Amino acid sequence: MTDDRTTTQRPGSETTLAAEPGPATPAAPSGRSKRRRGVTQRQRPLWLLAPGGLLMTLIILIPLGVAVWISLIDLDQYTLRRWLDAEFIGLKNFTEAFQSGLLHSIWISVSFAVLSTIATVPFGIAAAVATQNAYRGRAMVRAVFLIPYVLPSFVVATVWRTMLQPDGIVNTLLAKAGITGGLWLSGPKSYWTLILVEIWAAWPFIYLMALAALQSVDGEVHEASAIDGANWWPKLTHVILPYLRGPVLLACLLATLNHINNFTLPFVLFGAPAPDDVNVMPMIVYVTSFQSLRFGLSAAMAIVSLLLIAIPLFVYLRALRLDVHEDGGQR
Amino acid sequence: MTATATTAGAQARRRRGRRPAAGEAHRLLPAPLLVIVTVALCLMVLIPTAYIVLASLNTDIGVAEGEFWPSSFTLDSYSKIWTTADLGNGLVNSLIVCSFTAVASALLGTITAYVLVRYTFTGRLTILRGLVGLQSIPGTLMLLPVFVLFSSAGNYLGVTMVGTRWGLFLAYLTFALPFSTWVMVTYLRGLPRELEEAGRVDGASTLRILFRIIMPLSLPAIVVSAIFAFLLGWNDVLFANVLTRPETHTAAVALSIFGVTQEGGALPVYSQVMAAALVTAAPVVILYLVFQRYLVGGLTAGGVK
Repeated sequence: MTDDRTTTQRPGSETTLAAEPGPATPAAPSGRSKRRRGVTQRQRPLWLLAPGGLLMTLIILIPLGVAVWISLIDLDQYTLRRWLDAEFIGLKNFTEAFQSGLLHSIWISVSFAVLSTIATVPFGIAAAVATQNAYRGRAMVRAVFLIPYVLPSFVVATVWRTMLQPDGIVNTLLAKAGITGGLWLSGPKSYWTLILVEIWAAWPFIYLMALAALQSVDGEVHEASAIDGANWWPKLTHVILPYLRGPVLLACLLATLNHINNFTLPFVLFGAPAPDDVNVMPMIVYVTSFQSLRFGLSAAMAIVSLLLIAIPLFVYLRALRLDVHEDGGQR
Repeated sequence: MTATATTAGAQARRRRGRRPAAGEAHRLLPAPLLVIVTVALCLMVLIPTAYIVLASLNTDIGVAEGEFWPSSFTLDSYSKIWTTADLGNGLVNSLIVCSFTAVASALLGTITAYVLVRYTFTGRLTILRGLVGLQSIPGTLMLLPVFVLFSSAGNYLGVTMVGTRWGLFLAYLTFALPFSTWVMVTYLRGLPRELEEAGRVDGASTLRILFRIIMPLSLPAIVVSAIFAFLLGWNDVLFANVLTRPETHTAAVALSIFGVTQEGGALPVYSQVMAAALVTAAPVVILYLVFQRYLVGGLTAGGVK
């Protein structure tokens, strides 16, 4: 329980924002690990990687390669079963994708993901701060906070779809308060419906990450600020919240990725094809391939969306501590 | 140690032990504000949740009339859904496919993770990075080639894949396997090496060490990775929607189809929709209740639902 533990090793230390450790090649091992390596280098049972590795190559790497190839050929329902013979058309799918509303979908997806992430942060941090100190019934409150997260996405989407029907409970209650609800699931309001439901379902993720970070703040920090006579607000904003910045930023990155990739929520909420205002990227790819049956075109769209995701993903992978081989045995 | 699924869990527990002594200095919010924040957040979660439960216990007519509190409580909806929503078939299919996915990915994941954690070799970091990166690949990008390969498998190989449970199982492994492997990597690298070195000195083979020492010691983590793999499958709509026939529909697909088709009917059966939603969510909720401690720790570790 030393001081530096809080700065270098937060709970779930694999999500620590630490400097990237050196390459894995046994370059200049320290004295202690040289002994370890001696044991491990002699007989590395790399053949144990074969079952998992072969399967992953077969069901992940090869399909990903095929996806790239599909984006370059003219594949539709007629050529589907003989896709090896389909015509090669180069980048034509990509140019067509950008002419057929992909930019609109990218804009919808990105703005939806960013807005949802930003909106969930205050909820998550407030919940974490509120449940940090023990009180009677806290376990119950924590369990309640997890409800939206534990419920499967398709269940959340189905029940909100039902509640938001024109004659559903939301409009009934709004009418009692003298407000006309109108249509939630089509038209321009559908975009905000998607964001609101996503916020309801996703804020506990930020809460969990913030709570883990909060619990790693050392007791001495609290005691020091108490001795200094800090009031709760300056203490919270100047002492405690800075501890949360790293983990919460990382959580935001992950949350944004999850929002961009969320297919279930818009699909179940609005159905396919989705209204234009919620035609997010997973939806446009799905509709193009499995309703319009333009597989080549939709593969091109999917690859563009992967390139978009690659930016936050790259930042995330940089921030992640992957190689803890050296201290693997020290804990 | 066997009870510690993740380092996060261990640290949280250590803190919990210290907290009573700390007292007032640790208080973050003044009491009135604490109450306001807690109540507001709880209401935000509980009002819709309570409505789901209440509506499922109401009659279809009562829900259609816009009752929040049912005028009469009944379990009718829970008995009707088995005929109106093809839910039984869906639950069985989900259970079979997801269980196979869970066992296969947890076992293969453990073996792969063990080698990745304990031995260095070229390309190891790339594999680790890939395991994390794969979890953020859009599902649609993965589904497309899988669908094309499966559909053409009949032509090129003479096997039917689309619409079968095996096909869905293989498709789920594309996400479950990297995820389970990553969960095991995060756990196994916290496991002291000395434990297996003792076995090695005694002349045990690698396989023996893996099955007799590593696996029993990491059983909690293996269970967690299996449950997460199970949930990945259970919560999926995208793959199941494309790769199943009516006979092989999963619970998720059965529910979303039921939710959509009933809207075309003369009388909305919202009460039954809510009951069906709760029934399909029940296995997930039960898993979380039973394994709460481990799963919540794993959530923050893996960072993926």
